[in-house]
Amino acid sequence: MIPAGTHRILVVDDDPDICLNLNDILTDRGYQVDVAHNGSSALELVRATPYDVALLDLRMPGMNGLELYREIKKLRAGTVAILVSAYAQGDTTEQALAAGAWRVLSKPLDPAELDRLLCTALDQPHVLVVDDDRDLCANLWELLRERGYRVGMAYDARTATIQIRACRFHVVLIDMKIPNGTGQDVYRAVRHANPEARTLLITGNQCEMAGLVEQVLADGADGVCYKPFDLDELLGKLDRLARARDA
Amino acid sequence: MGPEQLADRYREFQEYVGWTEDDAARVLAIAPLARAQIPALVDDFYEEIERHPNARKVITGGQAQIERLKGTLARWVEELLSGTYDAEYVARRWWVGWRHVEIGLDQAYTNVALSRLRSGLVRAVSQAWQGDAAACELSIRSLNKLLDLDLAIIEDAYQAEYAQRLQRNERLATLGQIAGGVAHELRNPLNVVKTSVYYLLNARNLTPEKKLEHLERIERQVELADKVIQSLSSFARMPIPNLVPFDASALIHETLASAPPPESVSVSIRFDPEFPETLGDPGQLQIVFSNLIRNACDAMPDGGRLEIAGRYEGDCVRIALTDSGVGIPSELLPKILEPLFSTKARGLGLGLAIARSILEKNEGSLQVESIPGTGSTFTVRLKAVTVSEPAR
Repeated sequence: MIPAGTHRILVVDDDPDICLNLNDILTDRGYQVDVAHNGSSALELVRATPYDVALLDLRMPGMNGLELYREIKKLRAGTVAILVSAYAQGDTTEQALAAGAWRVLSKPLDPAELDRLLCTALDQPHVLVVDDDRDLCANLWELLRERGYRVGMAYDARTATIQIRACRFHVVLIDMKIPNGTGQDVYRAVRHANPEARTLLITGNQCEMAGLVEQVLADGADGVCYKPFDLDELLGKLDRLARARDA
Repeated sequence: MGPEQLADRYREFQEYVGWTEDDAARVLAIAPLARAQIPALVDDFYEEIERHPNARKVITGGQAQIERLKGTLARWVEELLSGTYDAEYVARRWWVGWRHVEIGLDQAYTNVALSRLRSGLVRAVSQAWQGDAAACELSIRSLNKLLDLDLAIIEDAYQAEYAQRLQRNERLATLGQIAGGVAHELRNPLNVVKTSVYYLLNARNLTPEKKLEHLERIERQVELADKVIQSLSSFARMPIPNLVPFDASALIHETLASAPPPESVSVSIRFDPEFPETLGDPGQLQIVFSNLIRNACDAMPDGGRLEIAGRYEGDCVRIALTDSGVGIPSELLPKILEPLFSTKARGLGLGLAIARSILEKNEGSLQVESIPGTGSTFTVRLKAVTVSEPAR
């Protein structure tokens, strides 16, 4: 089980002093903080730990902050990225936002504002999308990010299970037919690791999967949406499930 | 250009086209014939402009402005026919050119508009001429010379204004570059200072050790910020070097000792046995070598070799620093000695520009060769102290 309430923040900046400061400030606020001074060591940390938020300096030697975020997103799509720039030139900000970064802040950072932003980011419901259709995942990622969800992605049952054990998701969207297992395995992993999480089945093949879907629903899954999605219906159900946790 | 210079320039042009007092007298003689046609010529001038959107667009004040402009043009033709071509006349001509570039009129339009006016004047004079055709021909030739002189002065004004405009734009671009570089280099230390202050003010658990640590960090970063300003201002006004004979090899060793390269970089130094004393300001040249060595090390993040070779060549010495680093793409080679150009994440981009500027003031030069993936060679040339020419 994952301890509730500890949020993990990754700070990446080539200036060791600013890393020490952010570590002090964020640790003092009760966050669990890790620090890296360049892209490659940051990625090592990301491989080992799912961070809730990554605070990335834009201009660094070697891999810059935006390149780093693109790599982080491949590994941990659910990590919310805040990029920090001393002097955003031209369309850097637009590029960063287009790549999926949540905010671009300028130096010198206002720590009080950072604190507020972190609260907002961490307050976003965390959704895991489990589907082997990568295009669909990418679309849902953008759509759900825009609606204020943090969105993790897993393309098969095994990585989904690993993520569910490592991270407290609020809602898990589960495709029934996936590699390395079935949607049912994923559903069971959720029940086991994180019983409070809500589950929504997403399935494309009504006939073939009908039996399995019925079974998982009988076990307690919160709902099902059939592909091709009626997006309003999907988003409506998701909103209700995400809000239910607050109630 | 001041009125005196303008008048001189006009006199030079007059000489060039062979303008004499006779020409002035001839223009004055035909003036009454042309003067009768001025209103018609002025109307024609602005009617033609109406037909050309690129010329018309610079007139933004509507009909009222056109009426004013017609008055100005009529006076301009009157002056042309006045027979007096003094400094004041030239200054007013020059101002006409200046004003046209200021309102954004394409220079070609002043040429074609003047050509049209010229045809009109020539036609008016030829039609009204009552005497012998050869004399008419001569007068018209004088009028043409006068118009060509006007055109030359107007074009001068155009060029002067364009040159100024270009300079203004370049200054603005440089200012933008400096602002960007300074913003980056100062905001990083400010970022540390601001977050340290926040921590000191807001930490729930501030121990005396933490307090000291943050205060020291603030001090360190303030010094870093100050260094940024220092390097900018030292670049802006590098003092005149004091050229003395010195031992270049010893200076290189000192430079390496004061800022040793990382252990992953192996340094070898080879100087010709007959390497003479070098002429230069050792204090300034230490900045050059330290910048070049630091650059070489930065080009070899995973380590490598730095070879420093000193050779004696006639009346000068050549000190080449060759690294086995990443090299410089050929398209960047022309830019890397320019101030404020940098490929690094940190720094203002002044290191090599300072090196070049110092070397030029020390009567030397800096040259770069590079093979991407293999390494770069920066060659410093300085004057040697030769036996025949002892130290100054």
